[in-house]
Amino acid sequence: MHRVLHGWLDGLRLQVPQPLALEVVVTDAPLPSLVETVFEQPEVRFARGPGGHGLRLEWQEAPAIADVAAGGTSVLVRLSLAAVERLDDCTRTFLMAVLVALLRRVGWHHLHAATAIDPAGRGWLVAGDAQAGKSTTAALLATWKWRVGTDDVAFLERHGEGVLVHTCRAPIALREGGRRLLARAGGVKLPARDKVGYWPEDLGGVWTPIVEPQIVIFTSVGDAQTTAEPLERRVAVTELVRWSAWVMLELDLAQQHLDLLTCLARQARCYRVTLGRDLFTRPNRLIELVA
Amino acid sequence: MSERFVRHPDLRLADVEGDGVVLHLGSRRYFSVSESGLTLLQALDAPRSLEDLVQLLLDRYDVTPDQAEASVRTFLESCRAAELLVTQDAR
Repeated sequence: MHRVLHGWLDGLRLQVPQPLALEVVVTDAPLPSLVETVFEQPEVRFARGPGGHGLRLEWQEAPAIADVAAGGTSVLVRLSLAAVERLDDCTRTFLMAVLVALLRRVGWHHLHAATAIDPAGRGWLVAGDAQAGKSTTAALLATWKWRVGTDDVAFLERHGEGVLVHTCRAPIALREGGRRLLARAGGVKLPARDKVGYWPEDLGGVWTPIVEPQIVIFTSVGDAQTTAEPLERRVAVTELVRWSAWVMLELDLAQQHLDLLTCLARQARCYRVTLGRDLFTRPNRLIELVA
Repeated sequence: MSERFVRHPDLRLADVEGDGVVLHLGSRRYFSVSESGLTLLQALDAPRSLEDLVQLLLDRYDVTPDQAEASVRTFLESCRAAELLVTQDAR
């Protein structure tokens, strides 16, 4: 188990600003159930922590809980033997959520977004839901030799007056449709997600752990040509809130998270982009649209 | 006896170039508000009466007392409906 967990954490290559401690205990004792769920995401439920402070997370696939103290930089995770038997799944969903909760405590706040740096050195952030074309766009940008950070999990951090976005290293996960559009074979099968993973390097790009966003696009997939519509800052903030569900958690951290989203909307030019198939034949189309 | 209003403790506000974005962490909903709406919500970090809020708009904006009162009443009704306010009775 230690080998798997260390391999997972090392593989993420997170450059966190201060030490974090993830203590994992395996137990065959019954684990407490959540009293009142305050938030849910696939496979993971959240409740207030013991005494009403911090967070308690519960994996829904097998008994496993984690208590993330308010203000702490360590977390105690209790895994049942059944959870240990499914450690890869547990790591991908439950422990990743635990890590997100822990990173909030050092000022890194989660956003569902892809990140990239274009050939001119401008940072891009692509936000949207699971059907918004983030992964296919990230993979396409990699084929154009852009530097790509992530296709989904980004962490915002205050940096002076601005915002930096950190990413963990993970393969860009494409559905069959995305693979067809990119005409890509190969990759690593990700059976639990029914996707195939590609490292940016597999696609001709380079991984980048940090992006300073200058352009933020909120994407959806359309049938026609790619279009971009500039967004007012206020609308951009509400869009960022939409893709940053964790902003609603924990009273003491929510304002910091919201302030980062607001700062990001001020720092970057923001657009609503409808992605069309012309992107696949016009590598500079996105840049032209926001120039 | 007159009512006094205070912002719900679960609200978090962002000032975006004068306009506002409001999160309600309890209901997990979010709202956009105008510049004057943000001004009122910022003032409501402490209990305020209708008259206090009307005076605030009169001090900040070029409006008549009737316009200010109508704006505040409409705003308070919207906020009440969205559970953004807590109402207190003051004697």
